[in-house]
Amino acid sequence: MEVKLTSVDKLVSKLNELADGTALALRVGLSAYLDSLRGILEGYANKANVECIYVTATIPAASIIGALDVLEIKIDHVHFIDCVSHTMLGTVGTKKDDILLVESPTMLENIMLKVEFLSRKIGSKKKIVLFDSLNSLCIHNDLKIVSEFLHILVNNMRAKNITTILLTIEEHGTEEIKNMLNLVCDETLILGSE
Amino acid sequence: MMDQSVVTKKRTDRCVTGIEALDSILNGGIPRGNAVLITGSCGTGKTTLSIEFLIHGALMGENGVFFSVTESSDKLLSNMMPYDFFDESLLTTQKLSIIDMQDIYKKLDLEKIEFSFEDIDKLIKEISDIVRKKGAKRMVIDSITSICFHLKTEEKIRTFILKLGSSLRDTKCTSLLVSEILPSDARYSTYGVEEAIADGIILMGNLERRGDLLRTLQVVKMRGTSHSRAKYVLDITSLGILMVPLLKGGGS
Repeated sequence: MEVKLTSVDKLVSKLNELADGTALALRVGLSAYLDSLRGILEGYANKANVECIYVTATIPAASIIGALDVLEIKIDHVHFIDCVSHTMLGTVGTKKDDILLVESPTMLENIMLKVEFLSRKIGSKKKIVLFDSLNSLCIHNDLKIVSEFLHILVNNMRAKNITTILLTIEEHGTEEIKNMLNLVCDETLILGSE
Repeated sequence: MMDQSVVTKKRTDRCVTGIEALDSILNGGIPRGNAVLITGSCGTGKTTLSIEFLIHGALMGENGVFFSVTESSDKLLSNMMPYDFFDESLLTTQKLSIIDMQDIYKKLDLEKIEFSFEDIDKLIKEISDIVRKKGAKRMVIDSITSICFHLKTEEKIRTFILKLGSSLRDTKCTSLLVSEILPSDARYSTYGVEEAIADGIILMGNLERRGDLLRTLQVVKMRGTSHSRAKYVLDITSLGILMVPLLKGGGS
């Protein structure tokens, strides 16, 4: 089921209504990307006291932290899994305890393992997994293995009552990616798409 | 027809490894008293898995003994420290013991290239005595390959493993025997004998896929239980070994 949202506030309302363990496809327009992050991390997770496992396959976690800092979004409850930094040899910089590194976006099992690790480390607190973004993951992996990866990840999270949000950028999306998300997700929300 | 209480007892007589995914693969754990070959090439996580097996056992009240042939006890101890669940008191209270095999060789005058059949008997008696004295329900030998190196012949290797299993049978001690193989090996053990006699084989490997090296685990055989034969990818973390299924899409 696809639902078109007209504002970030509507996104936050929808997130608050979601049952635990839901798999949500979130398709955002490029112009709405930062707003959607604000909505998820500040409008929803911060206010509802939800821990967020943020998997980034697009840009390094350090860059996201910098952007969120500029937007004055608190990230005490955000735990990063960075699939990008290791591919840029020599630029990993200072190792940070709050950022787990995966050597490559092709190591999909390792992404699942880091999510599993963080979910155990966080303990019984309510948590969500935010995947940013599927488009970037599909640059490095073929659709078949990404579909398999998502199916296993989503089902694992569902069994643990952890909501999964799979972010895609509308302008970079393809019919194949949309079909794949329709297969594994319970709901699709669209924000900022013309 | 078997008495229901006997059937229930048989079904529940498991040595829970404490490694959640592995216990799930084995439908509850290793059948108690089994001697299991943990085999793989270097860097695949054999020693780490064995250590975690003993630590979890000790935390559950099952004493364990680690017979180390290749690494010193100091080095092994340093490998245990990073685990969030490790407690040093397990060592001080003897719930967990690390024995340097070189000390046993010295004691039994076995510092030689090849062991005789009499030497094998002495070694087995010493290992069994230590296991009994410590009241151990779990044992690791790391590595069985290094011991077999001193045995030289198939006959001696067979004798050693069979007699070891037989001498520990009444203690119901579950053993992990670490076996080193080359990445190119088609067998599960260096000498081919160990795998035939062992009750179980857990194969650990390094799988290369598109330039990435993944640590994998697969239960090839386990007597006394049904089990998954799928391959899993593992990560060694401060919470212990975690595993997920190996993805098959996209080819090799």
